[in-house]
Amino acid sequence: MRTSLRSTAARPLVALLALVVSAGCSGSSLGGEAAGPASTVKIGLLVSQSGVYKSVGDDMANGFRLYLALNGGKLGGHPVEVVTADEGEGADTARPAAERLIKQDKVLALAGVVGAGSVAAVKPLLDANKVPLVGANGRPTKLADPAWVWHTSYISTEPGLVMGEYVHKAVDGPVYVIGPDYQGGWDEIGGFVEAYTKAGGKLANPDGKPVYTPFPGTKNFQPYLSAIAESGAKAVYTFYAGGAAVDFVKQYQQFGLAGKVPLYAAGFLTEGGVLTAQGDAAANIYNSLNYSPDLDNPANRTFTSEYQKKFGGQPTTFAMATYDAAAVLDKAIAAAGKDLTSQTLNAAIAKVGQINSPRGPWQFDAAGHTPVQKWYLRQVRKDGATLSNVLVQELATVGG
Amino acid sequence: MSGYLVTAVDGVAFGLLLYTVAAGLSLVFGVLDVLNLAHGVLYLAGAYVSYLLADGGWRGLALAVCGGVAAGALGGLALSALTRTLAHRGHLDQALATLGLAYVAADLFATAFGGDAKPASPPAALAGSVPVFGHAYPVYRLVFIAVALALALAGHLAFTRTSLGALVRATVADRDMVRALGVDTRLVVGGVFAAGAALAVLGGVLGAPILGAGPGVDRSVLVLSLVVVVVGGVGSLPGAFCGALLVGEVQTLGVRLAPSYAPFLLFGVMLAVLASRPGGLVPTVRAT
Repeated sequence: MRTSLRSTAARPLVALLALVVSAGCSGSSLGGEAAGPASTVKIGLLVSQSGVYKSVGDDMANGFRLYLALNGGKLGGHPVEVVTADEGEGADTARPAAERLIKQDKVLALAGVVGAGSVAAVKPLLDANKVPLVGANGRPTKLADPAWVWHTSYISTEPGLVMGEYVHKAVDGPVYVIGPDYQGGWDEIGGFVEAYTKAGGKLANPDGKPVYTPFPGTKNFQPYLSAIAESGAKAVYTFYAGGAAVDFVKQYQQFGLAGKVPLYAAGFLTEGGVLTAQGDAAANIYNSLNYSPDLDNPANRTFTSEYQKKFGGQPTTFAMATYDAAAVLDKAIAAAGKDLTSQTLNAAIAKVGQINSPRGPWQFDAAGHTPVQKWYLRQVRKDGATLSNVLVQELATVGG
Repeated sequence: MSGYLVTAVDGVAFGLLLYTVAAGLSLVFGVLDVLNLAHGVLYLAGAYVSYLLADGGWRGLALAVCGGVAAGALGGLALSALTRTLAHRGHLDQALATLGLAYVAADLFATAFGGDAKPASPPAALAGSVPVFGHAYPVYRLVFIAVALALALAGHLAFTRTSLGALVRATVADRDMVRALGVDTRLVVGGVFAAGAALAVLGGVLGAPILGAGPGVDRSVLVLSLVVVVVGGVGSLPGAFCGALLVGEVQTLGVRLAPSYAPFLLFGVMLAVLASRPGGLVPTVRAT
């Protein structure tokens, strides 16, 4: 049926049909492929749909869907079929899910991935099958030869790296450092410790080393908070995300540390849904991130207002980075042209150049495959009845 | 030094919370020989009830407690009916059925309440902190210790001093003999299941301001409860009590004393207990 339609006489008919069909969705048609209906491409969206990082995964999926919705359900002129798979809580669940996406669903590329540990676990699969991943959140610090791995987010050490010097200047005395015991936690905390000690700071932890709490098992932080209270720390630096962030921040207040010992953190501690659950306990927390919903640029205004319309609430950096992952795929798929395979797509991603993102323009570092971008200091403040992360100042431009 | 004392107090609070949940699990296992892996999700149900109904006042808390206990009892009866057909098929089948049910329920909760942890506030009168040994400590946890102790005492008295309690104990020891005496053990079984489930949900309602309500809480509570049951001795309430307090202290004071060993402490202690007392701290006497 299809082959007979491909005869020269039927071609205009097909083009007309394609036009009628695509008129339903207000897509931007990209040139060069008008001769026939562009083939549907499959993109595997690997995000946490269960476990402690479900809310992060949901935000990421929302960001990706928002980009598709605003672009007629197409990336680079091709209609997109998004195959979603559950990353779970980390490497153990992420790897089989990625394997299914690559081998069974035969996706063109992967996007998403919440955890840095998951990325490390998935990488061998990408290398072996030559399928690119446009990651949009956690990224291991040391990722040798990231040929097929791209990230629109950050390297896990960066939120801490940009805070080290600032905290050393702002806090008169030693800082206690605590975080969750897994790859992402080691990176986030390690970045801070490196920059903070380099700037001349001293850790308040008794043995001069950060404390790592079992993850995801720790629900009760009392023993740790009691140790902090007795350490004589002038401030605390931490990184938690998801449910652990809620527990930590609420208990930080319950056990009398909030208001006495200032809390500095990687921005994920108070980003998104967790902030609502933390409530007033989160007030005044300083944190660093590559995005704030109150950034003043046209791309961000569109992004925040459309996001609010579609999902309610302010977008998070997780949603923003996955929105950007879709933007990267959009540009790269269009650039790969007719000969679209996972390999040509990967080559095209390397050449996408500047991405006009809600966080401001950024581009991939050629060697590291991560963004070179600005980082911001934010503080949780009461904005009317709700709490939000208010932009305080720029911290630094880092990346690569 | 005083910091360690506060942490020890917190260990008691944490241990009693675990006891409220694990008591039911232990009894159901002891009486029915059913391994109910849906126990953690019952706790989560209670936590969500608390999130929905607690409004920062006493009325909300009372509503949540009553609603939670009723819902828990019904859930227990349903679980007892479900596992009855599996009673003779061994623990693996029961574990599969109840764990499957737990997954489905947890997923439904995640769909209904989203992936974020939900806040559950204690009544405003208990929301503050008071100094304990010179350290700020939440009032709610102190009150919880008192309430949970009262619950444990009431449970203990009902179990050891009433004829109903004697019947349950007899069923734990030798179910066939009780049946031979003309007692419908199905009623005992259903009753124990309902009571155990109601306790777990109550634990969730009262524990939500301490542990929060969100995806994953069900699993951590289930794992800890199983450890409590194994350490304490299957089917023994005093055992579960000692086990819960031990686990509570290991998870707080133990962590405070040896933070770098925190991930291994719990299972290290479990191993030590099982190696020295294979039947648990307070083993039950069973007919063979």
